[in-house]
Amino acid sequence: MKRVLVVDDAAFMRMAIKEMLNKNGFEVVGEAENGYTAVRRFKELKPDVVTIDITMPEMTGIEALKLIKEFDPGAVAVMVSAMGQESMVREAIAAGAKSFIVKPFKEEHMIQILNKVLL
Amino acid sequence: MKYSNEPMLDMFIFETTQLIEQLETAILSSEKSNCYTQAAINEIFRIMHTIKGCSAMMLLDDISSLAHAIEDLFYFLREEKPQNVDCCTLSDLVLEGVDFVKVEMEKIKNGDAADGKAYSLIDNIKAFLAVLKHSNTSGAPADTKEHNSEKWHKNCVSREAAPPSAAINFFKAVIFFEEGCEMENIRAFEVVHNLKGIADEVYHIPENITDNSKSSEIIQREGFKLYITTHYPYEQLYELLMRTVLLKKLELTEAESRDDIPALSQAAHEMCARVSEDGSPGKGGNGQREADYAEAQHVSIHNSIISVNVNKLDRLMDRIGEMVIAEAMVVQNPDLKGMQMDNFQKAAWQLNKIVGEIQDMVMSIRMVPLADTFNKMHRIVRDMCRKLDKEVELEITGEETEVDKNIIEHISDPLMHLIRNSIDHGIEPPEERKAAGKPHSGRIALEARNAGSDVLIIVKDDGRGLNRERILTKARENDLLLKPEDDMSDREIFSLIFLAGFSTKDGVSEYSGRGVGLDVVTKNIEKVGGSVQVDSVMGRGTSITMKIPLTLAIIDGMNIQVGSARYTIPIISIMQSFRPAENDIITDPDGNEMVMLRGCCYPVLRLHEHFNVRTEITEFTKGIFIMVESEHKVLCIFADELLGQQQVVIKALPAYIRSSGKTRGLAGCTLLGDGSISLIVDIAGLAGLSEPG
Repeated sequence: MKRVLVVDDAAFMRMAIKEMLNKNGFEVVGEAENGYTAVRRFKELKPDVVTIDITMPEMTGIEALKLIKEFDPGAVAVMVSAMGQESMVREAIAAGAKSFIVKPFKEEHMIQILNKVLL
Repeated sequence: MKYSNEPMLDMFIFETTQLIEQLETAILSSEKSNCYTQAAINEIFRIMHTIKGCSAMMLLDDISSLAHAIEDLFYFLREEKPQNVDCCTLSDLVLEGVDFVKVEMEKIKNGDAADGKAYSLIDNIKAFLAVLKHSNTSGAPADTKEHNSEKWHKNCVSREAAPPSAAINFFKAVIFFEEGCEMENIRAFEVVHNLKGIADEVYHIPENITDNSKSSEIIQREGFKLYITTHYPYEQLYELLMRTVLLKKLELTEAESRDDIPALSQAAHEMCARVSEDGSPGKGGNGQREADYAEAQHVSIHNSIISVNVNKLDRLMDRIGEMVIAEAMVVQNPDLKGMQMDNFQKAAWQLNKIVGEIQDMVMSIRMVPLADTFNKMHRIVRDMCRKLDKEVELEITGEETEVDKNIIEHISDPLMHLIRNSIDHGIEPPEERKAAGKPHSGRIALEARNAGSDVLIIVKDDGRGLNRERILTKARENDLLLKPEDDMSDREIFSLIFLAGFSTKDGVSEYSGRGVGLDVVTKNIEKVGGSVQVDSVMGRGTSITMKIPLTLAIIDGMNIQVGSARYTIPIISIMQSFRPAENDIITDPDGNEMVMLRGCCYPVLRLHEHFNVRTEITEFTKGIFIMVESEHKVLCIFADELLGQQQVVIKALPAYIRSSGKTRGLAGCTLLGDGSISLIVDIAGLAGLSEPG
């Protein structure tokens, strides 16, 4: 089972993503509500893939992504973005995010993306 | 709704409500300081962003678009830092948004459809933003990125790649993405980015995929077209492109030579632009980041908090209550009577200790600080001051005082009522205050503090105070006087304002005095076993004190016996118990019995008479008196005997008993250690009954 770290400042979003993933044979091994915790949890858990919300307090998803990539260049990250954040998503991809998804997203899209990036 | 699933919905409601409260606080404090600080703008932006995302997931489009509009507004404020912002209108707009979301959340909570429409509000926000943008254009056009007129955008993705050789292959690819995947242009950017290291040259249509959202439409309609030169074979490139996420269709065709693809031949000599130069601004200093990280370590301490459904806590509390009873049933089991059991006693004592600790812990889990409830009042003060053209400062102290979650829910409404009442009726308009030599703006102090097993919540204003005569007149008109006026203390007279059907204000303003009187306050507070008390000095102000128990579920009780029935009296209301001498009993001409103790006379209430229980013991000298106090009224209850002190779990009386209407003087019931039922005596109710007249 693929191990996933879910990063989002909204507990609701974490719950929503977690439920989608659990239903589809992923194992959510951890959650983080800001960039700092995300980096720390990533180092502890070494998940197969991490989903990262872009806008978060304390440290944004992009900064966290960069630190995660610095720690493990092979890290697989999928950004979770809201509409209207094109430039930030672009920055994230340039910084090494494998892909992204735009809120509100459908379950099948989320699963498809995770399956693809984990190929 | 997308997630009818309970925990998800609960979480959404919980989190959104919390965010909305944070938002409100941020706006109000910004408004108070007359400007929106950068930090506040950031916070509001982020809150709206989160609400937007979450409500979009819940398919609550109106909330989501409203949040989006406010987010855009604060994005502009954050990025452009415009100078002349009309903070007042800004606050009004955002607060209106806050209210909209609140109403919708309430609907969702009650299981109704969130069908509010936010169009006009969104339009207002957009209009405000437009005006702001117009009056703050700095001259420099924002769009300087209209750079090239070239038809083909070319990315030389890999400078290190081998120079074009005989082995090079030319491909044309058309990619269609899944419908509704959003940001197609960035998806395309992702594809180009992934070709890095594989393709030598990449050309694509539409050319501008970085900051042109129009290209999204083109990609949706016509697909994303790529022309690629690479030394990788078809299969490998195909496989790579097939990995594109949310791919709906891929057409990959190989061309014989460069000339077959017009784009390649046309653009052959153009400059290369490296993909990696797009985006990714310089990184911050490493030292700074480490410092941030250290800071985060301590930030994360308060992250270890989970939110739990209150219903679960209620059930847990209920189970704990059962456990307390079960423990008593075991330890005080009649089968054990008279047995010598040292080890059992030891074990029983240990059990007792642990049960007590668990109970304390569960109680403390249920305790919530009053801060949130108190802070809500800022908004009420603000809105009312604006409408009534008064100036009032709200001062809050003791907001860290904790109260049981269930009780807090009953406090909010009464508090709101009292504050509204204070501003509407208590605080004078500025001119009147000036004339009376008071400071220009009124003051309302909201205070909470612990007093034994109660919490006192005090609302105190420095307004005009209550008018004793007017209250009396009004009470006479409405036939609310139960006692001769001369016998009434000031406090009793002031308390009349809490009676149903009492209102001294003839005009009805928007806030208070719309028919619903202050009796709502007493009703709510009494529901949780509390009481309300008024003090007032004419011209100086009014102070209203609400006394509220810390918790509801478990009390220390004294079990008493009357005939074959058992009753429990809350220990906190017991002052003492005693056996009177015969000549201490006095009977007044009306036949009311009283008992004299240390020179004071107290009314007597025979419990067996009150509850109509048959008992052998009707002579005062054979039974026992329990002196109880409630709201400064003292009463001596006459019972057969004391059975002992015990913690009891209060259970509501079953509905079939309540509906019989014979529950006056009873607060509930409980189970005793031996499995029998004991009725909990409502001292406040009895004290009220015992009043003469």
